[in-house]
Amino acid sequence: MDKNYEQLIADYLAGNLDKEQKVRVEELIASGEIDFVEFRELETLHEDLGAIPIPKPSEQQSIRFYEMLEEEKQQVRASWTNRLLEIPRSIFALLTMPRLAYAAVLLMIGGFAGAQFGSSDSEIEQLSREMQQMKEMMMVNMLEGASAADRLKAVNISTELPGADTEAIHALLFTLNNDPSVNVRVQTIEALKRWGDNERVRQGLVQSIAKQQSPIVIVELADAMLELELKNSAPEFQRLLQERELDYTVQQKLQTSIAMLM
Amino acid sequence: MNSNSDKALMMKVKNGDLDKLGLLFERYHRPLFGYFYRMSKEQEVSEDLVQSVFERLLKYRQTYSGDGKFSTWLFSIARNAHIDHYRKEQRNGVTLEIDENRLEAEDNGQELLVRNKADKKEILEKALDLLEEEKREIIILSRYEGLKYKEIAELYDTTEGAVKVKMFRAMKELKNLVNQIDKDCSYG
Repeated sequence: MDKNYEQLIADYLAGNLDKEQKVRVEELIASGEIDFVEFRELETLHEDLGAIPIPKPSEQQSIRFYEMLEEEKQQVRASWTNRLLEIPRSIFALLTMPRLAYAAVLLMIGGFAGAQFGSSDSEIEQLSREMQQMKEMMMVNMLEGASAADRLKAVNISTELPGADTEAIHALLFTLNNDPSVNVRVQTIEALKRWGDNERVRQGLVQSIAKQQSPIVIVELADAMLELELKNSAPEFQRLLQERELDYTVQQKLQTSIAMLM
Repeated sequence: MNSNSDKALMMKVKNGDLDKLGLLFERYHRPLFGYFYRMSKEQEVSEDLVQSVFERLLKYRQTYSGDGKFSTWLFSIARNAHIDHYRKEQRNGVTLEIDENRLEAEDNGQELLVRNKADKKEILEKALDLLEEEKREIIILSRYEGLKYKEIAELYDTTEGAVKVKMFRAMKELKNLVNQIDKDCSYG
């Protein structure tokens, strides 16, 4: 077949032809320059290719990627810290004793002025309350983000909050039950454990057992239950053992946990 | 440039915002896995290769120029990772073993197909496996990964016209293989 026709058919298959070019193909078929039977067979075959199934990558794939990303970030941070530490060292090296004494006097004057004209305690408290609210809002928004890295960051922000309100707890429990990334869910358990005294958190953690599919998350939950001494989680784990075909090591882990909880 | 476009995200990664690689991972790890799986038929190898692509993105992030489509750059890295992997295996003498296993599996597959008068899907999958690697790759990149012929031409360092001709001929050969397997099954 003419190479130009071969290119035309390839374009037809990829859906690259406009109306005019499609008419040209029809004309070539009508005149017999393109074999109609072969053309139809190729078209059908191209469609049928879409039906070949493909497995999904395992959850381990995401875990490995985010671990690698985290490692790289830490390395970058470490190299920045080193560079930042270099700056005061080099400045200090330039200072002579009289200059140091002058700097100390300036610091003392600054401290005295700050004490006289600085903010009152209530203003500072107000500011820190607003900061906390802002962090909480940021965390809840980031938990809805598309990237697992952002959601991980959000979970980490939650650990900086001194206390948690209902909205933050609700957002974290929602993440625990629905986030597609195992890594995010595991970190969420860690974050929620900090508020283990809160009844809503305790209930949420127990209710989450039945909703988890990943063995890593289930094992992490079992550890959390032991740490928080949540005895009412034992029946949930027993149900999991009865209803699901769990990995042998997970089964053993759950049996030990149940024995320790009861 | 849209701030969430692939290019913009990769530029941010280049400038130190490494978290943005997470977004690119979420967008591309499944298509990349699909490409590697269709090429190798091995789940574990495919996952290793996806990881290797993102490791290379991080390692060589400073070399990203932002020219051309991001997906073309990504798939050129993926192709290199795939080629490197099989070269390494060749050096370790694994290829022969794999090929023998594969041939054996193919023979078993053939018997299975004959016994079960297998359906169209199975025949097509088998025919695709039997296709020469480059031809299979062109079909995978165009049909499954949605790369334009122009992008595939960049990957192969050839002309768009040459890729179109190769695609046509690969499809034609695939059709012949399907017909041949189908015929063998009917006789069985």
